Amino acid sequence: MSTEIKIKKRYLAMFLIPGFILVAIFVIGPIIGTFIISFETPNGFGLSNYYDVITETSPTKALVLLNDMPRPPPWGALIHNLVWTAIHLPATTFLGLLLAYLLRRVYGRSIVKSIMFIGMVIPMVVGGLIIRFMFDKYIGIVPNLCGLIGLTGLDKTWTSYPDTALIALIIGSIWLWTGFSLTIHAAAIDSLPKTYIEAAKIDGASDWQIFWKIIVPSVRAATLTVIVMTMLWDLKIFDIVYAATKGGPGGASTVLAFVMWLYFALDLAYGKAAAVAVILTLLTLIPAAIYIRQVMKRG
Amino acid sequence: MASVRLESVVKKFGKVIAVNNVSLEVKDGEFFILLGPSGCGKTTTLRLIAGLEYPDSGRIYIDDKDVTFLEPKDRDVAMVFQNYALYPHMTVFQNIAFPLLLKRKKLGLTKEDIKKRVLEVARLLRIEELLHRKPGQLSGGQQQRVALARALIRRPKVWLMDEPLSNLDALLRLAMRAELKRLQKELGITTIYVTHDQAEALSMADRIAVMNKGKVIQVGTPDEVYLKPKHVFVGTFIGAPPMNVIECRIEEQDGKYLLQCPGFTREIPQEIMASKLVKTKEIILGIRPEFIEVIESPAPDTIKGKILVVEPLGSETILNININPENEETIIKVKLPKITKKFRPGETVFLKIDWSKVSIFDKTTGFLLE
Repeated sequence: MSTEIKIKKRYLAMFLIPGFILVAIFVIGPIIGTFIISFETPNGFGLSNYYDVITETSPTKALVLLNDMPRPPPWGALIHNLVWTAIHLPATTFLGLLLAYLLRRVYGRSIVKSIMFIGMVIPMVVGGLIIRFMFDKYIGIVPNLCGLIGLTGLDKTWTSYPDTALIALIIGSIWLWTGFSLTIHAAAIDSLPKTYIEAAKIDGASDWQIFWKIIVPSVRAATLTVIVMTMLWDLKIFDIVYAATKGGPGGASTVLAFVMWLYFALDLAYGKAAAVAVILTLLTLIPAAIYIRQVMKRG
Repeated sequence: MASVRLESVVKKFGKVIAVNNVSLEVKDGEFFILLGPSGCGKTTTLRLIAGLEYPDSGRIYIDDKDVTFLEPKDRDVAMVFQNYALYPHMTVFQNIAFPLLLKRKKLGLTKEDIKKRVLEVARLLRIEELLHRKPGQLSGGQQQRVALARALIRRPKVWLMDEPLSNLDALLRLAMRAELKRLQKELGITTIYVTHDQAEALSMADRIAVMNKGKVIQVGTPDEVYLKPKHVFVGTFIGAPPMNVIECRIEEQDGKYLLQCPGFTREIPQEIMASKLVKTKEIILGIRPEFIEVIESPAPDTIKGKILVVEPLGSETILNININPENEETIIKVKLPKITKKFRPGETVFLKIDWSKVSIFDKTTGFLLE
């Protein structure tokens, strides 16, 4: 290696150090701190915090509660997060992609896109409140629509009943988050050469065939970004739950981040809160790892 | 195979008239080229035939069937795009097979049939070895062949090509020109080809439609548009170097008609004398650079000039000659077939024009006076 390159590397390190120090103090430090706290027990260091939070059976704080199935929630915060992801992730990803494709030809599409994007811009706490109103028996659009089409069982305040609270939050979060998928996918579709679609049209493809055979595979990179970001969002979800249901009724809509908050703010059980936080962090590392690998591959 | 007919087709984009009352007839099996500068409406015309745009008025017929408002897929045309539009996520095989796969059930094709047809077309275009590669791994010329193969696989009635050679380097473009012409003749598919390259048009076309500002100015064989341009635009757009144009006036003097041009005045030569001509006062003389002879010593019926620039091009030499001492910009270009004598800038020469091959245009309309 020549001296010139060596000097350059030294300079490079100098430029990186200030940023690294900030990240170390404000990101890496707290993570390590949380990790250490999660092992702190009244009798020294151990795994009892983890044992306690995993085996917890109170519906409001349990992570997994799958006895006497099938039955309506509560199923435990971890299961709620997984159910949330299982419904919300494919729904927003696909809806956003489909809308981005359909809106391509609509006059005034940028206005529609902006409106859809509002869901992402407003504070999630406000989003949670809106969800509560949307599913209210008297003023909410969803129960009223259900009543109109004769679904009398759903003509109620969804967030007040264990069997509908979780699904109300999930549907509401689809409404809030689809703008993200729409925006990313619309940008990806706009950047495709127009001739891809035109060539397919001349070759005899229907709109549906163009969507599946040309658009979906061509915007794969954007879809991966949407999937990973949505998974992270689903796992970290807190504000909506806090504002709309407080995890209730009876823990029927609680999630990991909310349980962590309960341990931390109500029980003042910092060790247990840290244990839930570590579990949550480990879970979020899965999509993050997938994403980083893809980015490295592309880079 | 099919004929294509456009009747008074108009296409506007907002206030801009992209295609202005265009009527054309392309014969069965013909290699027809739409030629014109950027923005002249040639690509829009092609897109109207493809069904990617719909006209504001006028009709389009393929084989006497009105297709004006049919979807592209119902017109049985295939198109090769300037950027080839190959799908990057598919292999070459999948790209070529794509049009057939879409209509597999309708055409009653098995997977084996499709494979056979892809191989057949691949062999024709000499790309059998590339079938398992992705478009990103191909050179420009190879991508071009794949795009051609995809446009051929369906055996369409009409082949549409939008400047398919413009992304290739000069040498490859020459090779592909010949190859494309051979392929078209071999298969006999009616082909409509868009280009702004006049050399490409002259070398490949059966007939050329020269377009400018949304209008068709002239339709004819390459010889016709080159030798008998109907409009001064055609003369100056086609040919390298283009036709020389000199703005002149016609004056009557003692019962004789005089041609007054910058740099010279003479009686109207017998070859171009016509009744229509003498009624027009302002005309444009159009002279191809190869129809002017350069003589070193004064001779009757010649125009005196001074050589400004000599451009030797190997097989020919182009001279830039000023014929008007009062204006340095009155330049005539002369094409000499061989280097018979070394001319030098600054030399005085005498030009002899072959008046039988001169075109005369009306200065106000630009159209040929016949």
